[in-house]
Amino acid sequence: MSDELDEIQAIFFEECTEGLLAAEQGLAAMQGGDTSPKTIASVFRAIHSIKGGAGAFGHAALTAFAHRFENVLDEIRAGRIAPSPGVIAVMLGAFDKVSDHVAAAQGTIGLPDDTASLAALEAILANPGGDPAPVAAPAPVPEPVPVPAPVPAPEIDPFGFEPVAVAIEDFSDDAAEAPSSGEPEWTIVFAPSRDAMANGAEPVFVIRELEELGGRVSDVDATMLPPLRDLDPEQSYLRWTLKLPGCVTEDQIGDCFDFVAPDSGIDITRDAGAMPVAPHPVVEPVAETLAPLREPGAIHDLLHRVEVASPAIIAAAAANAAATSSPGVTPPETRAADAGSQTIRVDLHKLDMLLNLVGELVIRGSILSDRLSPADQQRVELPEQARLTREIQDTVMSLRAQPIRQAFNRVPRMLRDLTAETGKQVVLETQGETTEVDKGVIEKIGEPLTHLIRNAVDHGIELPEERLLAGKPAQGTIRLSAAQKGARIVVTVADDGRGIDRARVRAKAVEKGMIAPDTVLSDEEIDQLICAPGFSTANTVSNISGRGVGMDVVRSNVEALGGRVDISSVPGRGTTFTLVLPLTLAILDGMVVRLAGQRFVLPLAHVVEAIRPEPGQIRATTPGSEVIEVRGTYLPVRRLAQTFGLPDDNPLLPEDSLVIIVESETAGNVGLLVDTIDDRREVVIKSLEQNLHPIRGLGGATILGDGSIALILDVEALVAPVTALSRTLARGLAA
Amino acid sequence: MKTTENAGELKMVTFALGQQTFGIDMRSLIEIREWAAPTPLPSVPSYILGVTNLRGTVVPIVGLAERLGWTPSEIHSRSCVLVVTIAGKQAGFLVDEVNDIVGIQEDSIQPAPDVEIQDTNVIAGLVQITTRGKDGADAAATMVLLLDLDALTVATTAAAGIVPCANAPVADTAPVAGAALAIAA
Repeated sequence: MSDELDEIQAIFFEECTEGLLAAEQGLAAMQGGDTSPKTIASVFRAIHSIKGGAGAFGHAALTAFAHRFENVLDEIRAGRIAPSPGVIAVMLGAFDKVSDHVAAAQGTIGLPDDTASLAALEAILANPGGDPAPVAAPAPVPEPVPVPAPVPAPEIDPFGFEPVAVAIEDFSDDAAEAPSSGEPEWTIVFAPSRDAMANGAEPVFVIRELEELGGRVSDVDATMLPPLRDLDPEQSYLRWTLKLPGCVTEDQIGDCFDFVAPDSGIDITRDAGAMPVAPHPVVEPVAETLAPLREPGAIHDLLHRVEVASPAIIAAAAANAAATSSPGVTPPETRAADAGSQTIRVDLHKLDMLLNLVGELVIRGSILSDRLSPADQQRVELPEQARLTREIQDTVMSLRAQPIRQAFNRVPRMLRDLTAETGKQVVLETQGETTEVDKGVIEKIGEPLTHLIRNAVDHGIELPEERLLAGKPAQGTIRLSAAQKGARIVVTVADDGRGIDRARVRAKAVEKGMIAPDTVLSDEEIDQLICAPGFSTANTVSNISGRGVGMDVVRSNVEALGGRVDISSVPGRGTTFTLVLPLTLAILDGMVVRLAGQRFVLPLAHVVEAIRPEPGQIRATTPGSEVIEVRGTYLPVRRLAQTFGLPDDNPLLPEDSLVIIVESETAGNVGLLVDTIDDRREVVIKSLEQNLHPIRGLGGATILGDGSIALILDVEALVAPVTALSRTLARGLAA
Repeated sequence: MKTTENAGELKMVTFALGQQTFGIDMRSLIEIREWAAPTPLPSVPSYILGVTNLRGTVVPIVGLAERLGWTPSEIHSRSCVLVVTIAGKQAGFLVDEVNDIVGIQEDSIQPAPDVEIQDTNVIAGLVQITTRGKDGADAAATMVLLLDLDALTVATTAAAGIVPCANAPVADTAPVAGAALAIAA
């Protein structure tokens, strides 16, 4: 049962992420001058649904903060507070706090200190500058009677866990006490499903929310309550009837039911009492058309996931849908509008399974082509089949592709924090956020990006005065861009700061014993030094960077993805880091080679050429170290069979073998000695980690046409130890 | 936790390895495969015989005899691989011969005494079963060593000295780098 709850929580957090994304985009747009009702409403909605979900799951601190934030947004939405730059700045700060609260609710960080942000929000609420009539004009409500502030002034403290604020004592005669306003009252009958609480949909939260709107419980139907000995405390047996003042809009009521369990009975009716207002305001026929347009909120989701379709719930969903096209606000076409009805949420695991199966199909296809003669292949139209299979594979791969925006999105927030901390002024320019990348890649470049941005601010961008002295604008610029180039994705992080101080890097490396004082290094080699483990030139270890773990994390993460990091730096002009990443993590263009009879796959991306060495072309330099002379250049050669310790009874002579020249990030061009080349083919990468553990020198495994397994070589790892630089590094570090 | 249809009953697959009869909990078993030589892996302990393709998944094959510190099993026509799932990971164990599936009472499992195995932790307990006589005649009592698969996998990783993140290309220098980090910090 707790699993189920976890699952629902997970969905909630997923929605939080989406909500935060929408809110941040909206706020960024507002910052950029777009203060259209549509934009404001999108932010409001996002924060509102986060609040609702948080309430349902009992994340009190998040609820409380989001609530306050929402109040300000509501005022802005209603036009009572002008979205001035100052106000937007406060909201950006508040947004950051909401993100922190969400993270805290997930347990990844501690509870943030939001007092300053709260105070700023309060200040805005207390002094809605430039607003002529703060309370006089409530949001234009369809109801004709303008009744002031539907929300009772004294807020229920959301932190308080005072046992159930359901006011059962004011049952019977109070019903007569309220409708004095002459408004037709709302009557809501709320019967949570039996297992509502098991699903994390605590009815009390709903009732409490309705009470905040001025609702009162007028009746509790306890007839379903079993005798005490049969009572399951985790089940919900009660049915509440609530009365709400007529001034509350239907949307507000609908919002309260954002997070109820499926199968719950919800019946919202307007009493045809004193006033002749629409007797049955729930527009049921509209329900189905409106519901899909709504932001992918809980109800919407549940509607799709559970075979509910009790008319009452649809009505509630309709109310919800109506909330978006709510009074006074133009119907917003949000993300949901362009994506909503056309997208479904799919468990990533299922996608992976599909990808796996398609991979199997590809393998089966190559088994067939191995076994059939070309003529037979034509006869059974195997090529056509192969083409279709390839298309399916491409499509499935594209399902995993996500815009890289997801990785870029965390940067603005980070920059705000960094600039506040350092006193530097930085603007961010992004480009190509819509470039689509495999989800796995997106997940893994987040951390490298974080480090690169931190580095750029801490080491790259100078303080404003320093920049002015250097004849640069006080405000530094960081450009973050992504683009697809062939089968690779190129992500660059460029700053216009001071560039890499190579003399200092060198001195630091010597000081740390990473290189000998007399080592001759090119500029590029010096630049690469900053990626060495434990290297940092920052004079003081700041909170931001300088602990010397940054750049090697960048490099190792990127290389683990099968990518590489290029650094280019001009002193005084800035530094550019270029991450070259594979488009996909699942398929690899490879060369099947044999080592001691066993088949291995060499990623084609690394291969430069294959050479059949002449006798004497391979020469030993020191024991265990050989070089091959290729057109006047000596390249190191590694005998892979030996590296792997493969049993080889009659090793081939070098002149009967092949040397495959590969290019690598860490060691430049290196020759790898293999027996033969069998084939060239695209292979589906299978992880070794899934059932075993990573093995150095191997990037995974694949299944060949005959169903047997071939191991995929990790070229970078194989060649790294032989290079002069890394050997020096290793020795220096060991000392 | 251990609930089967018959409370307290446990289904066990018994197999022969060396001179002993072993058993594993049926619930861990995925399938029994004929022996087929796996693809050998470099830089792994000798008891990891290699990896094989199990319907598209790469599964390591462990020589159970070597794993227990015995001399390697000889491959013959009845050699089998028991594919099991341990802590979410799949692995195949090479055994000499699969015998039977028997139901035992959980309370009939006795604690493991010293047996001729390097670490006795991998033995969850001893059970006595009655085997059907080959010619349908006398039933004989056999002692079965019930393997604790969870213990096997933990030991597997520990013995192999695996750092889970050892994917870093400069794994050679990794421990050294760690030291350097400590200095820099």
